[in-house]
Amino acid sequence: MNVLLLYGLLLKATMTSFAGLGSLPQIERDFVETHQVLTAEQLGEAVLVGRSTPGPIGAYVVAVGYLAAGWPGAIAGWLAMITPAVLAVPLLIVVQRWIHLPHTRAAVDAIVLASGVLLVATGVRLAVEAAQQLMRVFRVG
Amino acid sequence: MPSPSIRQLFWAVARDVNRTFGGGYAAMELMRRTFTRQGWLDDAGNALLMAVSRLTPGTNVLAYCVGLGWRLRGTAGAMAALVGGSLPASILIAVLAATVARVDQYRSVQIAIAVGSAIAVVLVFSAAWHLLRPYMFRPGRARTGVIVLVTVALLLLDVTPVRILLVAAAVGIVVLRSDR
Repeated sequence: MNVLLLYGLLLKATMTSFAGLGSLPQIERDFVETHQVLTAEQLGEAVLVGRSTPGPIGAYVVAVGYLAAGWPGAIAGWLAMITPAVLAVPLLIVVQRWIHLPHTRAAVDAIVLASGVLLVATGVRLAVEAAQQLMRVFRVG
Repeated sequence: MPSPSIRQLFWAVARDVNRTFGGGYAAMELMRRTFTRQGWLDDAGNALLMAVSRLTPGTNVLAYCVGLGWRLRGTAGAMAALVGGSLPASILIAVLAATVARVDQYRSVQIAIAVGSAIAVVLVFSAAWHLLRPYMFRPGRARTGVIVLVTVALLLLDVTPVRILLVAAAVGIVVLRSDR
């Protein structure tokens, strides 16, 4: 697969998701169904490799890139993973510029609060997964 | 507030991001601990970075790294933190994919991942506590309650996180107006 096309497809998936594995449905559609450069099994393998290593969960796109186009594909995957993060700078500039205004402060406070609640929900989900994983590993039940 | 050198920033981010299992929030909590301990970041700055990283597309922890690096050392800091936070894990993943090494079949790896995931849970709850704590002990608890209730309701309705945050921001502004 052409590396530029690969980068474009992976970037489309990462730019339209807001969490580690959020890009998976789009990648499945583009790589497994539309372009058929990966099998569903290979995609599952890429996710497994990503989850078996420490670091960002979203880094599984590097494995997707590798399996689709070798080392150039892995580099394209890495670039597609890091490109959206650059948008944090303009966002931060805008927020910092207007943070002294009461409305901006109220909006940011609300987002921080909601982020905290979302984190609790994530923590509960992860706790259930971790408990199941521990039980599986130590063969409990 | 003192700032780290580019090299210190790179290594601190690389170490904290690339040693956690279970997602970016555990890594963000490790970075918060490291950077606040060194006096390079305060809780308000961390909360702002968490909010911005949530609203940035892609992998949240990398957006956090970019924001952190940019606040501390400008563009070079953002790049150093982004590379430090992403490259080591990416190299490892590419090598594993290349060797088709299913490391998860080994029991020692399974145990390491399971224990790492359990530790990540503690870190995620710790991160949540640090975000929520300031709002629990200051005036305006009614506003806090409204936003928490709206967030929980939207969560139960299976609304996506980004939409939840945008609605929360709008509610925050509306409640502020009604307070006046």
